[in-house]
Amino acid sequence: MASTALLRRLLTLPPLLRRSVYSSAATHNGASQPDTYDVVCIGGGPVGLSFVSALRSHPSTSALRVALIDSQDLSTARTTKDTETYSNRCSSLTPASLRFLKQIGAWEHAKRERAQPYHAMDVWDGVSGSKIHFDSVDQQQTGLLDAVAEMIPGSRSQASRRKYEVEDVGVATMCENANTTSALLQRLHELDEERSKDRLIFDMLEKTRVESIDLGPESKGEESLDLSQWPIVTTSHGRIAARLLVGADGANSPVRQFADIPSPGWDYNQHGVVATLDLDQQITAQNLRTAYQRFLPTGPVALLPLPGNKASLVWSTTPQHAAKLKTLSRPDFTAAVNAAFRLMPFDISYMLSPNSTTSPTDELTWRESATPAASTGVPRNFPRITSVQEGSIASFPLRMRHADTYTGHRIALIGDAAHTIHPLAGQGLNLGLADAESLAQRIAYGVDHGMDVGSCWTLDGYNSDRWAKNNAVIGVVDKLSKIYGFGSGPVVWGRSAGVEVLERLGTLKGWMMGAAAGVK
Amino acid sequence: MRTQISQHTFRRLLALPQPLRLRTFSILNRPPPNYPGHVPLTLVERGALALGSAFGSLRNPHRHDLIAALGEATAKPYFISRLRKAMLANPTGRRILHDKPRITSQTMSLEKLRQLPENTVGRAYAAWLDREGVTPDTRDQVRYIDDPEEAYAMQRYRETHDFTHAITGLPVIIEGELAVKAFEFANTLLPMTALSLVAVVRLKAAERKRFFETYLLWAVGNGLKAEEVVNVYWEEELETDIEVLRARLGIEIPPDLRETRKLLRDKEKAERAARDAKDRLGAVMGV
Repeated sequence: MASTALLRRLLTLPPLLRRSVYSSAATHNGASQPDTYDVVCIGGGPVGLSFVSALRSHPSTSALRVALIDSQDLSTARTTKDTETYSNRCSSLTPASLRFLKQIGAWEHAKRERAQPYHAMDVWDGVSGSKIHFDSVDQQQTGLLDAVAEMIPGSRSQASRRKYEVEDVGVATMCENANTTSALLQRLHELDEERSKDRLIFDMLEKTRVESIDLGPESKGEESLDLSQWPIVTTSHGRIAARLLVGADGANSPVRQFADIPSPGWDYNQHGVVATLDLDQQITAQNLRTAYQRFLPTGPVALLPLPGNKASLVWSTTPQHAAKLKTLSRPDFTAAVNAAFRLMPFDISYMLSPNSTTSPTDELTWRESATPAASTGVPRNFPRITSVQEGSIASFPLRMRHADTYTGHRIALIGDAAHTIHPLAGQGLNLGLADAESLAQRIAYGVDHGMDVGSCWTLDGYNSDRWAKNNAVIGVVDKLSKIYGFGSGPVVWGRSAGVEVLERLGTLKGWMMGAAAGVK
Repeated sequence: MRTQISQHTFRRLLALPQPLRLRTFSILNRPPPNYPGHVPLTLVERGALALGSAFGSLRNPHRHDLIAALGEATAKPYFISRLRKAMLANPTGRRILHDKPRITSQTMSLEKLRQLPENTVGRAYAAWLDREGVTPDTRDQVRYIDDPEEAYAMQRYRETHDFTHAITGLPVIIEGELAVKAFEFANTLLPMTALSLVAVVRLKAAERKRFFETYLLWAVGNGLKAEEVVNVYWEEELETDIEVLRARLGIEIPPDLRETRKLLRDKEKAERAARDAKDRLGAVMGV
């Protein structure tokens, strides 16, 4: 009798509170029962945080009970106030990623003076010197007539174009990972404060280690919840049952291992060396910046601009060269980086080989005088690197992995847990952010249509949306790295001819940039 | 945003018209020389030089300037670059490219070399120069190779050609030269060395037989087995024992060509004298 009265009262509640009662049931059943959440996200990196922010910002999903688990202390993920030093962990955010971050309200919390949009990209072949220049002008697809019309004072020819086409986002924006993460954390904090009047249904479990993930126990009777198909996360602070367990926990994802999802791929036998460099250019905020990438047979080396006269280096090279680079003194490392962009490939390999007798600085001085700039294809306004920031040289191994599927029963994978990619196209974090956006949208759709957010009805849409696209990008980047791994022979001739042709096809270049930017 | 759009369009306008001063390299518009004595050639000119010097040096093998021109015309695009990279890959070769030493009669003082001990490289070089009657100054300047460093590599190869003769002991006659050229082809892969082997048609039958039986096999085998001779810093090796250097480089000395020819000549002379004597005797005796 009392239960039917209770049930009737429950049914009269608004859907928001009714749902939250359902989802947080059984907390009174004793301490042995795990705490149930609607969505548990393991991993507090940029992808996990953006996913949780998207859930919390969207009106349909903002009432779901969400937990974020990370073993690090997330409150200390702040950037330094020092404008002279930049972290060596930077990512290039495409316009699509920026749009997503703006949409969830996180970008306004980022320190904009520490992010650098760049408007052009110079890519050239280290063996043959053939080069290609990407400019946001190609993307805008304006012709000579439009250009002349625009120059007339008082012209309104651009006014009829849609806002996002004219908005100047350039090719991409370089942003430190710590900057993105702290912006997302501030947004989550802001959202928490907004909803502090409601029951607190977002838990950030930081400094919490995940000890194991298992399926729940069989139900003991008809009254208790049947958690035998639910993932239960055992942490250092207790047990958590997840209606949907999202793995954003990096390349060696425990969630993926729990779900038994194979992730085939291969190691590239390359290490990515990162550093923060000082350039000799005098840069003001109005200058248009360019990103540079040179494809050497040992791997591509890229110089990505940061605010001021700073730049971020990403140099994929053999493990032996990476080990040697990390042992060099700061002036020698600077000389080696200058050499990587200006000397012939065999000179660079000799400089970094163990049996080289002279220091890289002297080698660079001599070999640069004997290497004509026209033969290496280095762009005319390429800056000279003057020094490297203390303590910013690091390296990590490069590999390619792609999970066979991104979803399982009450499991979803986003970010590096789902795929690892070569850094040569700067797409790793962007694919992860797109995953987070897509999964959040599918969960919102599921909630709006009354589905169980952990069921295949909700999750299959995410898989079909993202898997093929990610596979295409990973495949193209992998083939590029293999094509540019040849140091001589017909492949060099073929790829140089292809690049020369592509350089002259502005429309095709614009389409390629649009595809890489991911703008829908 | 307004300023940034006009910046874009301004740059676009600047990039649009091809600058009219972009002219291709033609005989009426040669680029400036990259080093003293450099003569930039178009592709057609280089091809004509290669053909002309090939046939010219075949007709008259004493035209060393034609042989030099043939070498330079056929060395690009790949072969001289490969040679320079081989020099850069070797620590000694790298030092040679850095110091850029030249071998002329001023830098190689023959009087001092003659006074060195018997078995040294310098003494053998001086002795070979005296025996063959040549001096280090007979080498032409490189003119038709565009990159200055590759031009120096070619010049160094040419100037150390005499050292190759000295260390293998082969003389400067056609037979000896062809053997050295075969050795150099297996060692440096320059096309001119292989093209010079066409001159076997100028050898007499006996010489040709000797060349194909003995010297060609020796040359190719040793050239492939030995280290790159162009990487030897000869100026520093002048006082090394020649056998030690040969062992280090992996070169075995072939049968001495001049001695072989002398023995054969003497044998033939003796046979001819014996025949003449018999004929004369026969004539006297009425046989």
